[in-house]
Amino acid sequence: MEIGQRGGASAGVTEPVRELSPWGYLLFAIWAALATVLVEGRWLAAPLLLELGFGLVWGRDGLRILRRPRFWIFILSAAVVGPFLIGDPDVTLGPFHLSREGLAAGLEMAGRASTLTLAFRLGPAALSLSDVVAVFDHLGLRGLGFATALAMNLLGTLREMAAMTWQTIWLRGGMRRPLVALRLFLITTIANTLRYGDEAVNAATVRGFDLDVGRPSALPLRRADLWLAVELAGCGLLLLVLHLLPDTSV
Amino acid sequence: MSSYTVRSWVTIGLFGALWGAVEIVLGSYLHLILPPQADTFLAGVLLGAIGVAVALTGRHFVPNRGSVFFIGVVTALLKLLSPGGVTIGPIVAILAEGTLMEATLWIARTPRLWTFMVSGALTVAWNLPHKFVMMRLLFGKGFTEVFNKMVKDGSQALGLDVSAAWLILGILLLVRLIVGAIGGWIAWKLGSAVARRLGLQNLFAS
Repeated sequence: MEIGQRGGASAGVTEPVRELSPWGYLLFAIWAALATVLVEGRWLAAPLLLELGFGLVWGRDGLRILRRPRFWIFILSAAVVGPFLIGDPDVTLGPFHLSREGLAAGLEMAGRASTLTLAFRLGPAALSLSDVVAVFDHLGLRGLGFATALAMNLLGTLREMAAMTWQTIWLRGGMRRPLVALRLFLITTIANTLRYGDEAVNAATVRGFDLDVGRPSALPLRRADLWLAVELAGCGLLLLVLHLLPDTSV
Repeated sequence: MSSYTVRSWVTIGLFGALWGAVEIVLGSYLHLILPPQADTFLAGVLLGAIGVAVALTGRHFVPNRGSVFFIGVVTALLKLLSPGGVTIGPIVAILAEGTLMEATLWIARTPRLWTFMVSGALTVAWNLPHKFVMMRLLFGKGFTEVFNKMVKDGSQALGLDVSAAWLILGILLLVRLIVGAIGGWIAWKLGSAVARRLGLQNLFAS
């Protein structure tokens, strides 16, 4: 894998520093998930803040989840149930007997869930179809990338085929016997899909497409990936030292 | 992998698209109209059974080892790439279902009606621990404590013994096993019927 060679910026054109390759997004997701699993307590704030920073620079789309009420209900429910269900109650707040230990545990649960959700949103979920195909190509799974691209392009056609089949059965009075209609619908939809597959195979054969021939498409590391890798390594080391410091000092 | 031809990958893509369409269209619709609590009890079971029926039907047309797993991977990627469908839970569930189906077929070696039914049953049964595994993964060890306390308090409030919770879990598991077995049975019959319709040789004719 060349660095900044094939697929990189043309001569005389400055490559945008902010652009990451799919490897960068995947690296960040793996790092964030590992950091979340390894650290505990208040240290969970560190990967969370890093994710927010990463999102602001490289993946604003991934941060859209923060605007969804469903996400906040999911996250806050963990923080809310903690004081009621974990530990012995030591604080009275009106009619409620709450536990401080439970509040801390609840906040930790909420922090862990939001960090992992964001890691997934900012990493694999940020990749496009062509990125996914190129990554598989590089991993020696060209067939799987090809199948994914085909499936993605087939989705619209499949919906049309299914709708047409259903309408045909309905117009011919098939709904009088619902189970027979359902069986007919399933058989026809799958048979039509396989016929479409024959067309795809024929088209590939005519074009001389072979999964075992040819070099993988270019997916070089970019300068930003290297900067990211260095930053993540530094942050990881710092987090490890700070996380272990109280134990070693004792 | 060398036994996979272009036709095999095309067929894997087709069945991945079929399962993906069900997950994206029906899944999004069910998650919208049903409350989150119904995810485990209704939406997950229904989607799991349909997924089993689709993926195992695909095995009739790509009898290579690993094909069902790859159908699951394609479906998970479609879910990942679909707008609005980017949630970690369903993607992990689809991957786990594909792996379980493939593992069962791999252990059984020879495809038979009963292997399809057992494969379907085990796959849909995964739907029950999936929720707990995901919650434990997302929330950490605190979730186990919350779950135990909720079971204790819930059984006290309802005047039931704690063992009743195990009974309820057992019933939920049994329902999943039955629904999954039906999914496997449908896949077996559907694959043969489609092969007949297309005039293909049924590879799994018993």
